[in-house]
Amino acid sequence: MVSIAEIERDFPNLRGNEYTVTSPEGTSYNCIAWAAHDVDRWWWPSPFAYWPHHVPQEETVTSFTQAYATQGYSPCKDAGLESGFEKIAIYVNPMGIPTHAARQLPNGKWTSKLGTLEDIEHLATSGLEGPTYGSVGVVLNKPL
Amino acid sequence: MSQVLVLPMTNVGALPISTGFGEDAEMIRNRFIEAMDHYWELPVTRRSSSTHNRFYLLLKDWREGRGPTSSVTQLAMHPAYQQIIGMGPDALPFILRELERTPDHWFWALNAITGADPVRVEDRGRLRKMAAAWIRWGKDEGYSW
Repeated sequence: MVSIAEIERDFPNLRGNEYTVTSPEGTSYNCIAWAAHDVDRWWWPSPFAYWPHHVPQEETVTSFTQAYATQGYSPCKDAGLESGFEKIAIYVNPMGIPTHAARQLPNGKWTSKLGTLEDIEHLATSGLEGPTYGSVGVVLNKPL
Repeated sequence: MSQVLVLPMTNVGALPISTGFGEDAEMIRNRFIEAMDHYWELPVTRRSSSTHNRFYLLLKDWREGRGPTSSVTQLAMHPAYQQIIGMGPDALPFILRELERTPDHWFWALNAITGADPVRVEDRGRLRKMAAAWIRWGKDEGYSW
């Protein structure tokens, strides 16, 4: 199990902010799958993971947006809480390569699976921005 | 008339068919070589400790150093993982043993080392099923761990 110090080393924006570890570590699913409510598969555009059929296996925002489109999500303006919508934030590194996805909960907080590590609940998308995941590149929403 | 074939002790695998071997003899020779390879292969617990130690040191480096990434590419590009791939077939019994213990992202390495891909398309992403397919493959190929 990863320690609080290790989490905050990777995500310095979490320091001093409210967040909670909500699951044990595991390799059954990753953040991309978790954002899409899939807890059985590891999603990544690779021959060694799941990626939706007919979506290009490319590490690009376009490919990730298309992958989530298969689940009913489409790009929207911002990450603010909107009644009747569920949102996903896709993080990208400085080269524009997707690194992470987080899903907004009905209470406005966000839930993230940290690679093979734990799931956490964090107050805002900014909590995971920084050297590890980069910044939010696009936000998607889906009517509930 | 019966004929006794005496195989030279060296360079057996390089004998061309034109030396007079029929298909049956060729098949028997190949089976013999496979059987000898299998017979002389040591179980993973009795292999050179340096291979064992090297693999587990690299495994530790990989697990500790991979961080909170979801990227299959980043997981596989980690220097320790690349060094495990560089160990070639020597790493296979160790990888298969680890895969049997805990499903993890060994599929890139296994494919890179063997050129095989026994995972069904519909099982991609389901690590337990992917692991099971590779463990079956390993057993079918005669690996022991």
